[in-house]
Amino acid sequence: MSTFIKDYIDREVMTRRKLLLAGAAGMATLAAPAIFGRGQARAALTDPAIAWSYRDRASAYWNAVVSGGEAFVESIGRSKSDMVNLISEGSSEKSLADIKAFLAKTGGNCAIACDPNDSPNARPVVEAVQAAGAYISTIWNKTDDLHPWDFGDNYVSHMTWSDEQPSEQTARILFEAMGGKGGVVHLGGIAANNPAVERLAGLQNALKDFPEIELLDAQPADWDTTKAAELMSSFLTRYGDRITGIHCAADNIAYGVIEALRAEGITDMPIVAYDGNPEAVKLVMDGQLLATVFTNPYWGGGISAALAYHAAIGTFKPSEEPQEHREFYGPTVLITQKDAAEFKAQYLDATPAYDWTNFWGPSNGQIQYR
Amino acid sequence: MKLTRENVIRWAPALVLLGLVVLFAAINPAFLSQRNLARIALASTPAMMVALGVTFIIVMGSIDLSMEGVVSLCAVLFCLLFLRLGGSLGAGAWLAIPAILLCGAFFGWLTGMVHVRLQIPSFMASLAMGFVGTGAAVLVTGGDIVRIEDDVFRALLTWRILGFPLMVYIAAALVLLAWFIQNHTTLGRNFYAVGGGEELAHASGVNVRRVRLAGFALAGVFYAIAAIFQVARLGQAESVTGANLMFVAITSVVVGGVALWGGIGGVLNAVVGVLIVNVIGNGMVVIGLPNYLQDGLLGVLVIIAVVLSTDRRLVSFAK
Repeated sequence: MSTFIKDYIDREVMTRRKLLLAGAAGMATLAAPAIFGRGQARAALTDPAIAWSYRDRASAYWNAVVSGGEAFVESIGRSKSDMVNLISEGSSEKSLADIKAFLAKTGGNCAIACDPNDSPNARPVVEAVQAAGAYISTIWNKTDDLHPWDFGDNYVSHMTWSDEQPSEQTARILFEAMGGKGGVVHLGGIAANNPAVERLAGLQNALKDFPEIELLDAQPADWDTTKAAELMSSFLTRYGDRITGIHCAADNIAYGVIEALRAEGITDMPIVAYDGNPEAVKLVMDGQLLATVFTNPYWGGGISAALAYHAAIGTFKPSEEPQEHREFYGPTVLITQKDAAEFKAQYLDATPAYDWTNFWGPSNGQIQYR
Repeated sequence: MKLTRENVIRWAPALVLLGLVVLFAAINPAFLSQRNLARIALASTPAMMVALGVTFIIVMGSIDLSMEGVVSLCAVLFCLLFLRLGGSLGAGAWLAIPAILLCGAFFGWLTGMVHVRLQIPSFMASLAMGFVGTGAAVLVTGGDIVRIEDDVFRALLTWRILGFPLMVYIAAALVLLAWFIQNHTTLGRNFYAVGGGEELAHASGVNVRRVRLAGFALAGVFYAIAAIFQVARLGQAESVTGANLMFVAITSVVVGGVALWGGIGGVLNAVVGVLIVNVIGNGMVVIGLPNYLQDGLLGVLVIIAVVLSTDRRLVSFAK
């Protein structure tokens, strides 16, 4: 027998042995929580580790979410770095794997805030957290049939934002600036994204009350500034002067639109945006944008971590809270040229000091399913 | 010029471009308006610079996937430096331009070092360095957007000569420069020597390692120029400024007829390729194609363009 084949067989035998051992170890860890009783093992944790699981920090939006989480962690006397960043990079598999690793590392003594990246991923994430006896609050993504109250105390809360109503409001502001007539184009987010769908739906609701306004075109700009600039210049070729107003699904898109128009020497086009980023608020103050909508991601990031943490240490018992405290809409603030300066002073120039135990104050009612 | 197989293949990318232009113009004549051509040219400039840079690498038979990170990092550093130096081109902020070109060259050289010294395939080395670039961009901005409001700098976008923005002319000049480097410098010829057969080049006395390092550094300079154009076009930089450039640049280069296995094609192929991709993107909206068909059609058109414009008989198998 050649040494190669011999080595190969030896190695395979070793691997199989290791696999069996690892399997046995895995079964033991699975069994361990069961011995102590699932879920009810610990009513409250002491000094749980805190983690935020999200896509990545490159966008202004997620940066604000994570900054809010860090502000909460500092408010309880820990340092920023005590909040563990679980970065999913847009992969649901990585999101779930990282959370499982974190649960294993902390032995379930942890509180997690999480955007599960896509809706179907929420269930395995929540089930893993419950099995480990840890606590979790989610934002944005979950399926309609998944509810925190079906998981006792471990699935503390879910927060999302309804964009249809605010988007309708920005559309009305736009149409009034257009004098109630003319042609509008919509530059949207990634077509299948829920916020993109809702923001377009808001525009369409408003159109019903303005029969003299025509929706010339609505196409996805993928939340991307560069793509928005290119799409806008293609719209200009196709529709030219018929475009008298522009409805953007996000601030990032509006930046690209404004620059595409600037390249053509157009500076007086009515434009509305969404997200309330600091740059967009400045553009509203300068008159380059009519309106944008602020969803306070900073508060959302902080309060999600706070809810999970306080449920974990037993400040409140989630299962004793009403359903509107378990599933609720986040805040939305419409910013127009009238109130932009005031908004900037209140939210941007100074970061408001939030009371991270006022869990539901700025929220916007229980989530409605259609 | 005789109608031989070689000649058809050489001119195929240009014919594909011409065919697309005729097709879109037939459906909507506004496509050929001067203003729309200026829009296509403007949209092409940053991608064009990235494509020029990566062409040198692909001709060498390597690949560079670091462009998104490098462009993001250079764009962000450029904005920050520009603001630090006074925020106006007249007031000394022009120094940010040579500084950022050096920065691009350095980053490219670093990618080359990782590839050559550590013997990591260029695919993996450059992809990893791209992530490093994006990460560094997040680090310096903290996720925020950096805006440049200087009207003098923005003249790259707003100042038009014969209907085309200034940056389009600068891009054209840089295409000439890249073409000159490729055809009339030792370095440019060495790229082909390495791409055509590394062992042969080595045996003939070419310092292959040095050529590779120079190639990556040169590509880095072009990525830095792309970053400056992106900032000029959008007036801002953030850690996702370079997003999508990888797909557009690599697709363009391949569609233009540069072979991914090295040694074939060049700068002019990349130029035609970038124009093809941008003409498709603009044309699909201008003719009113429903958006749910656009991505699919882009994929199909890219495949057709590659089939028509590369001589696949030269390779035994595709990998």
